[in-house]
Amino acid sequence: MRIFWLKISEIKSQIRSNRASQQQIKMASRRQETEFRIPKIGIYTGKGASHSWLWFVEVFERLGFYDLSFLTEADLVKDSLEKVDVLAISGGDTFAIAEALGPQGAKRLKTFITRGGLYLGSCAGAYLPLNSSKEHLNHFNFVAAKITNLTKTLPEAHGMKEKSCTCYGCSFIFHAVREAVEVATSGLPPFGKSATFTAPLYGGPPMTVANPASVMATYTAFTDKTLFLVDQKLAENTLLGNAAVIRGKMGHGHLHLYGPHFEHPHFREANLFLADAMMRDLPNQTAPAANPEDGMNILSGSLKQRFIRDFKRELSNSRIVAAGLEMLPLKWTIGNKVYETGKIRVFLEALWQRIRSFEKERLILVRAGQDDLLVQRALHVTKSIRQIKKALDQKTGAQKADTLKTATLLFSLLNKTSALFLEIYFRSKFFQFGKIEYEGSYGQIKKMVA
Amino acid sequence: MEYLASDKIAIVDLSTGDITEDELDEDLVLDKIGGAGITKHLYDQHVSAHPTENGPIVLGTGLLTGTLVPGASLGILTAKSPSTGKVSHMPLNLDAGMELKYSGFDYIVIKGSADKPVYLWIHDGILDINDAGDLWGKDTWAATDHIRSEMGDDLIQVLSIGQAGENGSDLAQIGINYWQSADRFGFGRLCGEKNLKLIAIRGMGLLEISEPEAFMEDCAELIAAIRSNTTTPNQGIAAVSAALGEEDLGDWLGPLTHRHMACFNTPVATNTFIFTDEDPALLKETIVTEPGFLLTDIFPLVALKKAGLSAKDAGLVLKACAKYGIDGAAVAELSAKSGLTRPEEIEKTLPDLKGPVESTGKSIFSPWAAVGQDINANWERRQAVAYVLGLHPIWFQITTELTEEKLLDLAGLGSEMEFTQETLDEVIEDILA
Repeated sequence: MRIFWLKISEIKSQIRSNRASQQQIKMASRRQETEFRIPKIGIYTGKGASHSWLWFVEVFERLGFYDLSFLTEADLVKDSLEKVDVLAISGGDTFAIAEALGPQGAKRLKTFITRGGLYLGSCAGAYLPLNSSKEHLNHFNFVAAKITNLTKTLPEAHGMKEKSCTCYGCSFIFHAVREAVEVATSGLPPFGKSATFTAPLYGGPPMTVANPASVMATYTAFTDKTLFLVDQKLAENTLLGNAAVIRGKMGHGHLHLYGPHFEHPHFREANLFLADAMMRDLPNQTAPAANPEDGMNILSGSLKQRFIRDFKRELSNSRIVAAGLEMLPLKWTIGNKVYETGKIRVFLEALWQRIRSFEKERLILVRAGQDDLLVQRALHVTKSIRQIKKALDQKTGAQKADTLKTATLLFSLLNKTSALFLEIYFRSKFFQFGKIEYEGSYGQIKKMVA
Repeated sequence: MEYLASDKIAIVDLSTGDITEDELDEDLVLDKIGGAGITKHLYDQHVSAHPTENGPIVLGTGLLTGTLVPGASLGILTAKSPSTGKVSHMPLNLDAGMELKYSGFDYIVIKGSADKPVYLWIHDGILDINDAGDLWGKDTWAATDHIRSEMGDDLIQVLSIGQAGENGSDLAQIGINYWQSADRFGFGRLCGEKNLKLIAIRGMGLLEISEPEAFMEDCAELIAAIRSNTTTPNQGIAAVSAALGEEDLGDWLGPLTHRHMACFNTPVATNTFIFTDEDPALLKETIVTEPGFLLTDIFPLVALKKAGLSAKDAGLVLKACAKYGIDGAAVAELSAKSGLTRPEEIEKTLPDLKGPVESTGKSIFSPWAAVGQDINANWERRQAVAYVLGLHPIWFQITTELTEEKLLDLAGLGSEMEFTQETLDEVIEDILA
């Protein structure tokens, strides 16, 4: 696995030194000549998605995979999947995601995979395509795996009651542990030798499958960081020895389903495994390249500075209030998910940490109106967080307004704002990163706004 | 400037509303080190370039402000005192210096005058000039509450003026949050003349340290040495007053004392919260929103005690001064001359009080106590070092562990630059000139 990672590093190194083409790179390994390319990756940010899709973003950015798009349920129902090689769905509320995508989204997803696309599902994204008879989920019966954390009798919760289970019809899905667990990769072809490392589990499934060859990794042990939400013996029976990651095949494409969040940026070896597996199962035919000139405005000079400053101002205002909210013991249940105040800043920090690099970009590529829209959304984020803070500051219980409605809107807004910023950020980065590739058309961009 | 700095100087023109930014030049830091060394340089530079304009207000922090160096809490406000005519330096204590350090700006030059009331909102490398129409006329407490509520954060540090500054009183003071500052120069009037109601600061930035491990080890050693030193004063404003050679206020304040409060990373708490509006012996949860007052300034406290006020009455007088934005030491002096001792009587006189007063700063550094009032070479030298490197001036005056040599070593470790004793001597000579 490490050998393969070196290859990816070499790709990045070659790309950075402009010795290789952005789109397609031929690399001679010791054993065989393998063809790699920078994948076009769609990341789901729509209804039901929690903050963890940002982890995918971070891992892909580290790998130098800047050709990212951020897709909502509406995008998936339309034709957006035709433009990507990989679709990644991370954590959140599986039921809400399934409902949002509906039968039309399920059909699109099925077509995408059977034509050769790769589906990366983590946590909620892993539950989504598993066989189920439940409403909404029943449109996604793509993988015949069983989950081992399904029960008719709810076990006693030892901690974090609100996160220890989810209703599933007349049954319950219970979450035996949280935080880091140990997993071992199977080492089955084509994924090289086996390895053991840790990855965090935040409600994702333990699975069993009929075909052992489809198991990419199993849960092997708990760690000193593991938090038990149920009796330890039950946790062992539920998880250990069962599949943590499975690989399904559908038509020409594949599904990689991760119980733990292998994309969590603090778990380097898990990230490498995920990237390695993804590169192995990329579709043979790449999705058509988007035309960078389509309806694109370029911001540079004072226009760029003003845009970034306006956005940064609101991002800073939001961070300041959100940091204060973190001190309050407050959480909201939105759909089937529990959101702590700290989650607000996960979104904001993901944007903030990229601001400096964004400021250094020579050019910013935006579609018409996207710059104003982003600033407006950031303003609304600040307003919403301040609204929550003001409501909580009220002195009497009667004055303390219920903040759930505002929080629900806020998290939706944070998803949209983050997705829009990251779309602009990666587009600008990718455009300049791949400027040699686009050199011919670079000067032909008509809508210069500078 | 890569380390111990945000590498940014802002120049704010209140007359035009323009804000420009410069990088913090490494040569400037090598030459002037930081804090008052650079605020004074920027002040002089601006006055030379625009001799016909009113002088600016310059905000800044010391080179070590906001770090783990014990007592590295100080921000500095430099301007020409309307009272003394000297370019002087006011300490920004509590968390104001630290927040300024992390605000994304190393120095801020505020020039010109706004044509209507405004306030500055400094945060994360962004500086906004906002309308203060709603704030003008409010006392410092209401203004601080308003800003913190509007911005949604109680950690925002607010440098504000009250009605004294708005009305052009010679004795007007810039307050820090709800409390009195050691502004003994009439800087509150200067802000009033600029139509600048307040400056709100919040910083969530990061500081890069050149050699973090060695820097932290040295700081930890210093802290251990300070803790093991049996002559280090006890906590609270009374003990600090005694350590400075002023009157011991322990017996006087003791019965009213609620808690002590230190400025950012300062080993000795120089501030004490006392009950003024609630019985300190009450054994149930308070129902009073604000049951007392934070004593931050030794000078007026001692003066009020000498004038025969009880500790509670002294607290009430200082609370009224803080709200109105007027120097408590001046009020104590003038009230004593008038023979007034009842807080409500003294409060009524605040709008009409006029200087000059003896308590006005004679040095270019704020006299935090009468002992610092007379110009004294040793006191001034220690103050100058504190104002250059960003150390709490009172704490620095009473500690023996923080030597100039040690501090210059730490400055070098943190910044990847070399600072010699000769450079420090030259910087201090320039400041005191």
